[in-house]
Amino acid sequence: MNLLSKLKQSSYQITIISFVLAIILAIWKPHVLIEGIQRACLYAVIALPMALILGIVGIINLAHGDFMMLGAYFAYFLNVYTGMDPLVAIFPALLAFFLIGIASYRAIIKYVLGAPELNQLLLTFGLAMIMEQLANLLWTSRPIKLPLNYVSSSATIGSFTFGTFEFVYIGAAIIVLSGLLLFLKRTSTGQAALAVGQNPRGAKLVGIHVDRTYLLIFSLSIALVGAIGAIFMTRHSIFPLVGAPFTMKSFCLIAMAGIGNLVGILWCSLILGLAENFVLSFRGYAGWADILFFALIVLVIMVRSHQRQVK
Amino acid sequence: MRNLRYLLYIAVLIILLTLPLYTGVYLLNVMDIILIYIALALSWDMLLRSGQISFGIAGLFGVGGYAAVLLHLNFGINPLISILMGGVAAGALAWLVGMAVLQLRGMYFAIVTLALAEIFRVIIRNFPDLTGGPEGTILPSAIFAGNSTKTYWLVLTVAVVSIIASEIFRRTRIHFALTSIRNDEIVARSSGIDVFKYLVFIFVITSAIQGMTGGAYAHIYGFVSPEGSFSVDFTLLPIAMALLGGMHSTWGPVVGGILLGVVSEFLKLQIPYGHLLVYGLIIVITILFFPQGILGTLGQRLKKTGNE
Repeated sequence: MNLLSKLKQSSYQITIISFVLAIILAIWKPHVLIEGIQRACLYAVIALPMALILGIVGIINLAHGDFMMLGAYFAYFLNVYTGMDPLVAIFPALLAFFLIGIASYRAIIKYVLGAPELNQLLLTFGLAMIMEQLANLLWTSRPIKLPLNYVSSSATIGSFTFGTFEFVYIGAAIIVLSGLLLFLKRTSTGQAALAVGQNPRGAKLVGIHVDRTYLLIFSLSIALVGAIGAIFMTRHSIFPLVGAPFTMKSFCLIAMAGIGNLVGILWCSLILGLAENFVLSFRGYAGWADILFFALIVLVIMVRSHQRQVK
Repeated sequence: MRNLRYLLYIAVLIILLTLPLYTGVYLLNVMDIILIYIALALSWDMLLRSGQISFGIAGLFGVGGYAAVLLHLNFGINPLISILMGGVAAGALAWLVGMAVLQLRGMYFAIVTLALAEIFRVIIRNFPDLTGGPEGTILPSAIFAGNSTKTYWLVLTVAVVSIIASEIFRRTRIHFALTSIRNDEIVARSSGIDVFKYLVFIFVITSAIQGMTGGAYAHIYGFVSPEGSFSVDFTLLPIAMALLGGMHSTWGPVVGGILLGVVSEFLKLQIPYGHLLVYGLIIVITILFFPQGILGTLGQRLKKTGNE
């Protein structure tokens, strides 16, 4: 899993393809382009922490989207009780979900690190179910949304009007991605984490505290995804099952980009976000947009496994 | 000893068959649900014995249900035969899909089956002329005009068929092939087992059972809908049952199914909107503390005390 070489190779091809697509779209359907990019960045920013866990701790966290859902509820109740703006609530959410991450790693995840894949999948599956049902029980399945004025701000270029608040997703995606890359490459803790991801036993031999690294990476990812929940709930209404589709979509992006390829996730999410918005823009065919992610995930996994066999 | 065991099976079967004589309609309905979940849990476990985790039970369950209902409505096929054909349809679909998907292993197979279930659901939802679209299709009347005794016998047949299938797989050489694929695929291949052929075979059989169960369910309740027939419950609950009872066996999923089925009926009355919470807890606790399941753990204990 050589992060750097893999990253350069695949992102080069993807860049060209998405660039050509973007030009065609910008002329034909500018709405699709702008909204697609905004949506894509939301997908990317949610997928990044999951990729971090999968790449370094080696666990497929099927409860990933549900941590985001909890983050959204956290920001909502912070707003209701203290009047704190959800965008400010990002910081308490980071702290709170870092602690939640530590707790869930220490109490649950730690014990299945060496277990078969099935047990890990089922465990996080069960965890997701607990979180969804608990939210359902505590806060009912009624969708809730904060009345925020600034989220519906818009800008107009010529005859074309688009929402400007959603650019916050693009900002978030860039900040999270560059932050993670800096952390992994420039700090010794980050490099230790990469080493653990490549070979836990080797990392242990050269004196890296593997368990502590797992704990740090897991909690960091949960903190990030919780904070993203706070951003997410500004624009979307939230309900207990709101996070579940994002788990699947995140996994799809990770499988497409290749495990350990963080930059690739951004490119892949751009392709998927644009494609999804493109299908949505045709009246009467919107129902098929859901299938796009799933069809692509199947396609990508099949092609990848075929390539591996040919090699 | 062996004769005694068969005698026990026959006695239990007779009790189950004659159950409608001494119980009311409510208990029969509860039994219907439990038996349907047992059939699903067993079929999931049968595939698991080869090491492949499927998260697509609901997909094939829904496809079987739709196939049975649409065949009955459009071609006037007898409900019982249409249930069988629902199983055949799901099996055929699994064969087509399996040729490609069974190249995958581990988490990739699991995720692709989950994605496929979603794809089936979206496709069915987007052909309103044929399938009724998001609202689904309602049958003019449920099977046997809703007679609960006959319905119970139907579901019992489905469950017994899956138990027999599971036992056949446990007692023949298929069992050794699957176990060896699960333990080490390379060793299995080098000892002459056609891994891919066995995987396709077991995938088709288990999918057919799931489809048949879906067909029976659709006919009993008299309707199919994208959200109802493909509900994530039909994936989650069987997995939880097989896990709780003990994987890689016939009686594990059966015991798990009975336990969870009874518990869930009770919980539905206590916490109507959160009974799935307990399922999640059961999955987590089982994985953490006794990954062998109830029967597996009991078996180990018995062996230990026997040795001492």
